[in-house]
Amino acid sequence: MFKKILQSLSKSQAAKVPAAPVSKPAAETPKPGAVLQKISKAAAPAASQTPEEMCEIAPKMPKDQIHARLKLLYRRYNRSASSLDPKIRQEADTMLDAIVKVREKFFGEI
Amino acid sequence: MAEYVGIDLGTTLSGLAYLKSDGNPEIVPNSDGERLTPSVVFFEAHEDVKLVGSPARDGGEPDRTIFQIKRHMDDPEYLVEIDGKKWTPAEISALILSKLKRDCSKIIGDINEVVITVPANFNELARKSTIAAAEMAGMRVKRLVNEPTAAAVYYAHSQGVKGRILVYDLGGGTLDVTILQVEGDNIRILTSEGARHLGGSNFDDMLLAAYAEQYTKQTGAPLYNDERHRRRVLLATEDAKKMLSKLQRVNDTVANDKNDGLARIDLTRESFEKLIRQMLTRTVMLVEQALDSANLKAADIDHVVLVGGSTRIPKVKTILEKMFGKTPKSCGNVDECVALGAALFAKKSARIQEVCNASYGTVAMVYNAKTGEEKLMNSVVIPKNTPIPCSRTQVYQTSEDNERVIEVDITQGEDEDAKFVDIIGRITLEVPPNRPKGCEVAVTFSYDENQRVRALVVDKQSGRSREVAVSYKGAGVLSDEDLKRKSAHLRTMRIE
Ligand SMILES: Nc1ncnc2c1ncn2[C@@H]1O[C@H](COP(=O)(O)OP(=O)(O)O)[C@@H](O)[C@H]1O
Ligand SMILES: [Mg+2]
Repeated sequence: MFKKILQSLSKSQAAKVPAAPVSKPAAETPKPGAVLQKISKAAAPAASQTPEEMCEIAPKMPKDQIHARLKLLYRRYNRSASSLDPKIRQEADTMLDAIVKVREKFFGEI
Repeated sequence: MAEYVGIDLGTTLSGLAYLKSDGNPEIVPNSDGERLTPSVVFFEAHEDVKLVGSPARDGGEPDRTIFQIKRHMDDPEYLVEIDGKKWTPAEISALILSKLKRDCSKIIGDINEVVITVPANFNELARKSTIAAAEMAGMRVKRLVNEPTAAAVYYAHSQGVKGRILVYDLGGGTLDVTILQVEGDNIRILTSEGARHLGGSNFDDMLLAAYAEQYTKQTGAPLYNDERHRRRVLLATEDAKKMLSKLQRVNDTVANDKNDGLARIDLTRESFEKLIRQMLTRTVMLVEQALDSANLKAADIDHVVLVGGSTRIPKVKTILEKMFGKTPKSCGNVDECVALGAALFAKKSARIQEVCNASYGTVAMVYNAKTGEEKLMNSVVIPKNTPIPCSRTQVYQTSEDNERVIEVDITQGEDEDAKFVDIIGRITLEVPPNRPKGCEVAVTFSYDENQRVRALVVDKQSGRSREVAVSYKGAGVLSDEDLKRKSAHLRTMRIE
């Protein structure tokens, strides 16, 4: 049912670079943290937004959807919170705060 | 000579344990008479001595004192500069390990081989740096073991339990949640989730902010103007925090170092719990995430085990009790059980089935034939928590006619949205000319017992292939020669 087509970032996004000759090392040395490339920076949440807006929780969203959304966001931003880039880390922290606030609002305090 | 030795190289505290002849592990105190050694190093200027432990933590000069170096073990660029000399996190850790080795060997004899614990989510660089630190300190690392695993080994040993155990380890700097299945000496890790920068020192910081606000309110002056005094107040807030684990109410007084007078701080356990509530909610969400990853419900967990100094906070116990409907158990002394488990591990060599600690995949345009939707996404080939060793393959198609070079991005991370994963490598493969798009390319990832990952790309039509090790060889990893040199140098240093 699913057809998966390879998409290389350097081909689909950046200016075309000449094809690497086969004799060159097959992979650039990966560096955890210092990544080769990011698809694009995630948009920073605006300071004026409410926690719900930051988490993209629509006004009439059913509770189970809110729950699922928060779960996804927590997983996502908890991971970015360990980035080596302080800016990404700061953004993640702001988002985690918003996620907790929305959770407390809809599901009560712990 | 001590045969079976385990070391917990912690963010805040480090400890060493050995296995006694009766088969039970015991903590070995340092020469300052303490069971655990604060992971703090002070570079004394006048006597050229490195102080490690409480004297370093409580002493004076913040710009010559290194706290919590473990938080930087995964950063290839992080360096500490003292008197013009640059130190890597591994070298600083080596000083802490040297003190443990020197002090403890006076009691239990030579220490040559050790098991060292690391957080479950430590990446390859951090693991390599930990091994290098031990080698610089003159010890061979028999094995690294994940902290929650070590704690579970100790818990299972001392309580004789089996079943599904959830280990909740809230220390000074990090939270680790691991679910494992224990049957005698067999341990199967089901999942391990971690949160960095979430631990007791966050609570200290929050209390510090509250102190500073109260101080300014009462005296009109700032509580601290420099790092030295900030550190001093921070130690006071940590003490107050610990008191609140025992008492409902603590009265403290603070002063700045400019003679602006004293301020009275009244703390209640309730107000402290309110202060840290949102942080604790984050920890609950990580527990839920771990349950989710293991496809389990709270009721499926047989034992909840508390590890880490911050689990002494009563509220931590209450929220876990509420969540699981059973009382969480401490495995004896919460900040010693990791080292004790490591010593047991050194001997028992418990049979441990581990899991991948990250997801690996590639970037693909995925078409859903049913809905007609198409989406550029991170296509995971090997999901996190797959038992290792393992190997998984996904078949993809080429995107362009007459494509001469296939490029496969290697991603690390589980998010579907490729914006939130890291591209950690790229494989290029030259293929024959004049082919239409849609040729099949198989991408295989394999993961071995040492958490080492390999990626293989096979062009099905031409049979051409290319394999690479997705391992970290970049900055921050020492050559064998460098290691020997540094190790020899370290032996000449005065470390106390
Ligand atoms: N009685 C207590 N109440 C609250 N926090 C405590 C208590 N005892 C220790 N801690 C905190 O536990 C943390 C250290 O825990 P530990 O497990 O040793 O950390 P790590 O593994 O990160 O070195 C510190 O933040 C310390 O303040
Ligand atoms: Mg610990």
